[in-house]
Amino acid sequence: MNIDDSTIQIGFTDVNKFYGAYHALNSINLSIPKGQFVALVGPSGCGKSTLLRTLAGLEEISSGTINVGGRTVNDIPPRKRDLAMVFQSYALYPHMNVRENLTYALRLKGVSKEIRANKADEVAAIIGLEDLLDRKPRELSGGQRQRVAMGRAIVREPQAFLFDEPLSNLDASLRVRMRKEIRALHERIGSTSVYVTHDQVEAMTMADHVVVMRAGKIEQQGVPLDLYKNPANCFVAGFIGSPAMNFIPGVIDESGESVTLDFEESPSLPIAQSMQPGRPVVVGLRPEHVELGDAQSCGYAAISISSVEETGSTTYLFSSATPELVIVADGSQQVRSGDVIGVKIAPTNVHLFDPETEVSLSNG
Amino acid sequence: MKACAKWIRDGIGFDALLIAMALTYLLAFAGLPLLYNIIISFQVVDMFSLNQLFHEFAGWDNYIEVFHDPAAAEVLWNTTLFTIVSVFFQFTLGFALALFFNQKFPGATWFRGLFLAGWVMPGLVVGVLWNWLLSGDFGVINWTLETLGIIGEPIFWRSDVDYSLISVILANIWYGVPFNMILLSVGLAGIPEDLYEAAALDGATALQKFTTITLPMMRSTIGAVIALGIIFTLQQFDLFAAITSGGPAGSSLVAQYWSWELSFRQFEFGRGAVIAVLMIVVVLGVTVFYVRSTRQETRL
Repeated sequence: MNIDDSTIQIGFTDVNKFYGAYHALNSINLSIPKGQFVALVGPSGCGKSTLLRTLAGLEEISSGTINVGGRTVNDIPPRKRDLAMVFQSYALYPHMNVRENLTYALRLKGVSKEIRANKADEVAAIIGLEDLLDRKPRELSGGQRQRVAMGRAIVREPQAFLFDEPLSNLDASLRVRMRKEIRALHERIGSTSVYVTHDQVEAMTMADHVVVMRAGKIEQQGVPLDLYKNPANCFVAGFIGSPAMNFIPGVIDESGESVTLDFEESPSLPIAQSMQPGRPVVVGLRPEHVELGDAQSCGYAAISISSVEETGSTTYLFSSATPELVIVADGSQQVRSGDVIGVKIAPTNVHLFDPETEVSLSNG
Repeated sequence: MKACAKWIRDGIGFDALLIAMALTYLLAFAGLPLLYNIIISFQVVDMFSLNQLFHEFAGWDNYIEVFHDPAAAEVLWNTTLFTIVSVFFQFTLGFALALFFNQKFPGATWFRGLFLAGWVMPGLVVGVLWNWLLSGDFGVINWTLETLGIIGEPIFWRSDVDYSLISVILANIWYGVPFNMILLSVGLAGIPEDLYEAAALDGATALQKFTTITLPMMRSTIGAVIALGIIFTLQQFDLFAAITSGGPAGSSLVAQYWSWELSFRQFEFGRGAVIAVLMIVVVLGVTVFYVRSTRQETRL
């Protein structure tokens, strides 16, 4: 990603963080342009929240530099970093009503009561809490608390918004709705946002730029669809997409144009590139890229199905062979457990990885 | 019989049984003595009539006598001073220590635990220890003050009318600080860390965090600690018995000690009971404050 330096709002350069001997953040380099919505995503313990907290100033870094708005903030306390954060727990002040919660930062700055009241009304209108300004947090529902937490950030007009898994305490339907609202709000305000989540769907649907982390390292970053189409390694390939990608060991054929899978009757799949014959690889197949057909037809490999899960719109098929192959089929498919079906995968949808390094071998 | 067993096993019988046991105990060992104390405050009770259940009615005589006693004004003043100064310093020192041990440093909880050692000692033992510390001739306190050049000649803490009450107050503050500290520590531990983080990002300085987050969030705890502090201070008897015995010349005489002296030294049970009744009224008032403050929980 080449971006003109002047548009960079947040920058991490060679950031390391140790907890004793534990390497929590490992040489993090990340540039976030002004106005971009960036999602930090990864399994729990990957360091995504730690990275966000170092940006907020709630954790100190062991080495490297963090820049916000062109200024190095390594030694600047949180209160002077001009960043607003929405916490997973919302961290609303229980002894203050909604209005006081929204304008707490302004009160600390010494803003007059009238301006504060106006500002509270203004923000309450944006987040739809006009009628609840006099309530205490304990009198609000989970979704309303979430909105107050957002409003408290908006009031500040900060350099950037930081979100630490803000939707994980909401139920599924509300989560989908808030996802849209946060994204809409981001577009409306045009602010820079850094959003931490363990939910790859959230990251993919909300962010302009997704950063996938594992064990304190950035594994890959890029626009959401690019991560889906061209994963840099097995980890990213398996993490992005749901259900997760299937991984099957295989060997490149004599021709170098196809790969033989170590799976059931050793089917051969054409690949989109030319590879060294005899090279062992890991083949990655997305469940939704498997096309179904007649087991006897040309170009289809036969596999037997051990179990079927029907959700109505889609049907999940599980192969009886190991490693288990998961297939996402259209809900109209009539497949029963024990059936033998034919499957086919387009060459461009076959991902190849090195078995040792797990790095992608597909070009582009 | 079977129905009764079932009632206890499956119904609300077991709950009722537990409540009945607690109530019986309270009535027998707290309710009745309290009531009897109020009754004898209106009676003539002395050594000769002590063994009778019913005594001669005295009307308000005992109350009038207590208020007209030459010692009454000084006792009232001493009690007020003793309570206010003790509670003030127990609370402020306890709060300061609680805040200190709430910081994350190695051994914080361990050191906090050590402070409790003072509190678990019997009051009489604490009194004897302070007797030694406060001793005019060989006390450590005098030695320290003299060495530092703060005083020129020894202060006879326990036998000087100007210092006797201060002596007991000093001992009582020391005795009460750990209890205040522990209760306030519990209150501090109950404030979620993320509130402070949110406040830090909102621009709060350490002092602003204390005044806008800690203090309001601690309201109910502070109310409870101060109420309990007042009640415990009004109960404090051992330290007076061990250090000054209310003397010299009544200069450290407080209501609770005076009540005991009237009843069990002068055998004026009626007048002793009057003071006890008056103190019950005060404690009742404080208890109402205590209950109200614990009810106003400001937690999420």
